[in-house]
Amino acid sequence: MTLMFIIGTVVCAASTLICWVMTALRRHPADSSIISLAAVELFLVVYGIYAAVRQLGFDASIAGEAWEFWGYVFTALLLPVGVFVWAMIDKTRWSNLVMSFVGLVVFVMVYRMEVIWWGSATAPCAC
Amino acid sequence: MVHKHLSSEDGRGSAPGVQRRSSSTPRNRGVGMLIITAYGIFAVSATARALYQILVHFDDAPVAYLLSAFAALVYVFATLALARTSVSAWRAALVAVLIEMVGVLGVGAWTYLDPDLFDEATVWSHFGQGYGFVPLVLPFIGLYWLLSHRPGRDAPGAPSSSGMGAG
Repeated sequence: MTLMFIIGTVVCAASTLICWVMTALRRHPADSSIISLAAVELFLVVYGIYAAVRQLGFDASIAGEAWEFWGYVFTALLLPVGVFVWAMIDKTRWSNLVMSFVGLVVFVMVYRMEVIWWGSATAPCAC
Repeated sequence: MVHKHLSSEDGRGSAPGVQRRSSSTPRNRGVGMLIITAYGIFAVSATARALYQILVHFDDAPVAYLLSAFAALVYVFATLALARTSVSAWRAALVAVLIEMVGVLGVGAWTYLDPDLFDEATVWSHFGQGYGFVPLVLPFIGLYWLLSHRPGRDAPGAPSSSGMGAG
């Protein structure tokens, strides 16, 4: 399990929990929900840059296929933006719940990215 | 003849005493947005996966990959139909959701009965096990949502009592 995966898990879990709490508390899209989406997006940007350095630089030992990995990175990067735009169409309590999907789905996608890159997301690695 | 004023901006300027906010929320707003988001995510992920499978290793399991592509198309179609409010979109969404239901139940059963045909997984394999069984639950939620938001049923009166229990 890499440090990036742990950070990603924490960010995604926090985002989803914040969005769930805000669904109960607010009758409009909460600032904290939106900021939590931005945090997920920021994590993905950092994850992507880190992966790019890994790919271009010294350690290009990707277990799976590179373009499948980058397909996931690219799709994941679009997700918080797309869901944010969609959530803003209807500014009700439910926008928060819609935004809570991002953390769940991005977590699964990062899990898949880790599996594609390392061969396993949870096995101990040399890092 | 048709009550055109039943859009989302009801109850703002007119009819001060009438509280019909929930019953007149359009099909693609509120909780409906949540369902459409779920369908949208499945549309994107199923399409991406099917494209990858077909482009990279189509020869490994043609049946499974063609089913993946079919499932992806159904999700895309359902997402678009659910997001629109017209009567024809409602019918299209109903058809899409029913196809999806048949698909996940059929392919799910098929993968248990004849696993050899499916070396590689599709979204619907083993009733959507690889996706946390969400593909199994989704069409039932979609069907319930559609049946409880029939076009014309949102009309000014009470939106109830048709004896058509979803499911």
